[in-house]
Amino acid sequence: MLLEPLPEQAPLRKQLKDAARASRGKHDDEVSERDRVRHERLAQWELTVGIEIHAQLNTSSKLFSRASAEYTDVPNAASWPFDLAVPGSQPLFQPAVLVPAIRAALALKCQIQRRSKFDRKHYFYHDQPAGYQITQYYEPLARDGHLVLTQQDGLGEKDGGKIEIGIKQVQLEQDTAKTQEQDEVTSLIDFNRSGHALIEIISLPHLHTPEAAAAYVRKVQSILYAVDAATTGMELGGLRADVNVSVRRLDDNTSNHSYSGVGGLGQRTEIKNLSSFKSVEDAVRAERDRQIDVLESGGTIEGETRGWSLSAPGVTRRLRGKEGEVDYRYMPDPDISPLYIHPEVVEHLREHLPPVPEQLLDMLCANYGFTVVDAQALLALDNGGRLLWYQDIVAHLKVRENDVRSRLGVQVGNWVLHELGALLTTTETQWHPGLIDSQQMADLVSLQAQNKLTGPSAKRLLRILFDGDKRSVAEIAEEENLLFMPMTDEEYDALADAVIEANSSEADVVRQNGKQAKGKLKFLLGQMMRQGDRNRIEAQRAERILQTKLSPVGA
Amino acid sequence: MNPAATARRLKSPGEIRRYSTIYHDRLRSARGTRAVLSGLENLVLTGSPYPSGRNIANDEVIVLKDNFLTTDLPTTCASHILEGFRGSATSMVGRLLQDAGIHIVAKTNMDEFGMGSYSTNSARGPVKHGFDSLEQSVGGSSGGSALVVAGGLARFAIGSDTGGSVRLPAAYTGILGFKPSYGRISRNGLIPYANSLDTVGIMSTSVKDAISIYRILNKHDPADPTSLDLNSRARIEHAKLSRSRVPDHAASDQVSVRVIGLRDKKESARLSLEAGMRWKAYGRQYFTKRSWRIGVPDEYNIQEMHPWIRIAWLKTLSVLQDMGNDIVHISLPTTQSALSAYYVLAPAEASSNLAKYDGVRYGIPRDAELADNHEGVLYAHHRGQHFGDEVKRRILLGTFSLSAGAMDNYFIQAQKVRRLVQQDFNNVFTVPHPLLEASTGNPEGVDFIVVPTAPTLPPLLSELKHQSPLDSYVNDIFTVPASLAGLPAISVPVVADDDLPPTSDKNIGMQIIGQFGEDMPLLNFVRDTVEAIDPPRPRETDSRIWTARRF
Repeated sequence: MLLEPLPEQAPLRKQLKDAARASRGKHDDEVSERDRVRHERLAQWELTVGIEIHAQLNTSSKLFSRASAEYTDVPNAASWPFDLAVPGSQPLFQPAVLVPAIRAALALKCQIQRRSKFDRKHYFYHDQPAGYQITQYYEPLARDGHLVLTQQDGLGEKDGGKIEIGIKQVQLEQDTAKTQEQDEVTSLIDFNRSGHALIEIISLPHLHTPEAAAAYVRKVQSILYAVDAATTGMELGGLRADVNVSVRRLDDNTSNHSYSGVGGLGQRTEIKNLSSFKSVEDAVRAERDRQIDVLESGGTIEGETRGWSLSAPGVTRRLRGKEGEVDYRYMPDPDISPLYIHPEVVEHLREHLPPVPEQLLDMLCANYGFTVVDAQALLALDNGGRLLWYQDIVAHLKVRENDVRSRLGVQVGNWVLHELGALLTTTETQWHPGLIDSQQMADLVSLQAQNKLTGPSAKRLLRILFDGDKRSVAEIAEEENLLFMPMTDEEYDALADAVIEANSSEADVVRQNGKQAKGKLKFLLGQMMRQGDRNRIEAQRAERILQTKLSPVGA
Repeated sequence: MNPAATARRLKSPGEIRRYSTIYHDRLRSARGTRAVLSGLENLVLTGSPYPSGRNIANDEVIVLKDNFLTTDLPTTCASHILEGFRGSATSMVGRLLQDAGIHIVAKTNMDEFGMGSYSTNSARGPVKHGFDSLEQSVGGSSGGSALVVAGGLARFAIGSDTGGSVRLPAAYTGILGFKPSYGRISRNGLIPYANSLDTVGIMSTSVKDAISIYRILNKHDPADPTSLDLNSRARIEHAKLSRSRVPDHAASDQVSVRVIGLRDKKESARLSLEAGMRWKAYGRQYFTKRSWRIGVPDEYNIQEMHPWIRIAWLKTLSVLQDMGNDIVHISLPTTQSALSAYYVLAPAEASSNLAKYDGVRYGIPRDAELADNHEGVLYAHHRGQHFGDEVKRRILLGTFSLSAGAMDNYFIQAQKVRRLVQQDFNNVFTVPHPLLEASTGNPEGVDFIVVPTAPTLPPLLSELKHQSPLDSYVNDIFTVPASLAGLPAISVPVVADDDLPPTSDKNIGMQIIGQFGEDMPLLNFVRDTVEAIDPPRPRETDSRIWTARRF
């Protein structure tokens, strides 16, 4: 970028790291001889993965009760009778949950259905008070979306540069209560989470590598964040994934299993409740290898549900087989009328949809002059919070400078990303929107753009702001003597005369030879710069006055 | 219950007089009804009546079936599994009644969760007239409520009707049982058996009483997602206007009539205009029709019908005809399948609704030792232990019909049949179904349908012991169609033969069914016709209800 080279201690770039981590995965297969063999073996098989993602919606109420969905640490404080399945209580659909849900579906390029319905999915578990979960099985909220993954999202080489993942449907559903294991025989249940609004995003089986599977989940999360549909991600348990994994021999066309309308697949297994990007990738890889082992040794894959736990990394374990599979007995909920969503509502939300990361990336590069790497870094910082702050600063500048965004954009970007980033890293500080007021930051950049601050002074000013000084930027610059005070013409005149006098022979050479005596002119200029006030003298003006004074005689 | 009937059952006429006197004295005394009711725990009621010390007159008390939430009395649905359960809020029905100054004094016994036709499937023991197994059944599942009214212990009672649970006991005990249109009365705080069929029912001896209670309860409740909203209610009012077509010549005349309550202002204005035209064309007569077209569906004339019931049916129809109404043959071809559909859908919903009873949060707590056995079964033991046989049977039925392998053949089929049943009714009624755009009403159709409430007379309790569950299901054949279509229906007591003494073994109910939303026209029709010929007799207390226990 313009002003300063990239500092060594660049700020945390989560997305880059994630991408790097993802691409490291593809080397795993190659690190040893044993792995080389495995790699060759892998080339004979095709892995297919379909993913179901459950994400907590960013909404203030539950799906079917007026209880608050805000976090509280008082157990069961946010539970209405319906959340506890008290007999005689009834579901009351909260239309507000539709805003984040529709946004999410739109960002995933889905068709919002004019009519959708709610069904009951039955199973007994202590975190499910009614004995069923209300979901949308037969007629979901949205269908037929897609999402594009590129290498920037962490695709491996095998995936090629760009793949499109189909989204089968997006549906609304209830979250379960939270269980806390007390001891071997006691579990405490907190129903605050019971009935929270979730969306389930079901992908088509379009993923073919563990890296792509993880990249897909990562990308869905970043899209949900970007459009404000979700605020808690995998790290905080707000997003969970179930993966369906199958393999088939590439030269074998007899595979005849299918799901979500995609056929010719091998028998699949499902791994439930993965709660990190890494576990998605690792579980898919482990399950792929297990299935290949079984098939190569002449066995068959059972349609079953498998588990993945951090305590036994590297292997999936059988939870229940097909015969033990739960029959959910989906039934339309007789208390809840169908949901009709007017196309105008959808259009309104579409028009006001916040941009997804890809759009932001394009915008930063095209309008603000960012490089892809810097744009990605900015997008990944503070869940997009830094980007908003950045845009605030540029907006403040535009008002006053009436300047083109791309020039200032780069300049501000440097401050936000690198100068401030370096400060955050060295002081081990967490950025937050109140750390430095965007208006103050704009003032700082503005001062510098008007040549009223030199680079070093501007950096000192930033540090002062960073340390919490509440004075205005102008005051600080003034009172701390940071303002750049250009020398007057008279001062230049006097200084030039003094230098010429002290170095008369060099001056003569310049006078006689004019432009050919460039070296001597530079020498004189150097003298001027050295003798003048470092903070006030400008090389261009000094050179100009020297040229005037030493112009060839008669010219 | 007529004193004459009691007389034959009891040993000497002197006894009856004595009991009746005692009852009437008590009733007149300060704590009348409550004192009498307090002797009826487990027999008619599921617990002690409300223990307030205030004087309450008979006119101001009501009893609720034990599936309506009350805060001061437990609500158990007559099930072990809900033993000691108290709601945190009173049901909407209870609140509306209390707001109207009516006291809820007791909760009445019933078939567990409403599942049964004779009020014998109760954790509290069966509801009986007395202790004699040669007694007639009171019907179910709102048997306790029916008996309280029939016995003159309270003027009104609230029941719930899923497939006939208010109408059948009303027929068997010789009182009125009214099931309003689905969604008319809030179900909030009514513990569901099958949500899409459950309705709040009113039991009384006179239709005027039923109307006054209905007026109190007929309100939109935003807390019940299936409660008819104001817009739907306005559409119902509008649908009535289609009894007659607007003649073209009336179109130019305008009379100021306003249709209110519609959210859509334009729609409201249009309907007002239309109503004005009708008013102009037909005047008052249009809105207060005096003669009606009565439908008699061939499919209800089944072989199994008891002869007395057929006689009573014919008699009712001929009296209606004599009053100037037209009797019209109609066909409801899906009637035969309706019962099967009902016994697929209701248990399916029940199996889902009853999944919440796990002993963790309310009701009788589960036994920690057996809570989670090595097979990983969480609640099976608890549910097996505390649900009654009929409830378990229907949960199993429902679980099966919803299972992946059976869903298409049972649940989906039953839903289709349900739609056909609704279509059957829409094809024969003059008034269109107000909430279905496609329904236009049949100009040659009928205003009401009159059929018996049940094909049988009240059976003896001793006979029921030998009945299979299927036999008892068959008895709901006449009540289930109106439930599937959500239509208002009322069971009115009639007599087979004026010469026969009206004893409890010959109680017969005649059921009148109206188009969806036609609750008031239905009640008014009953008031103007049936009650006009056979005014309700003042109830004498049926001494058997309480004597057996107290003396």
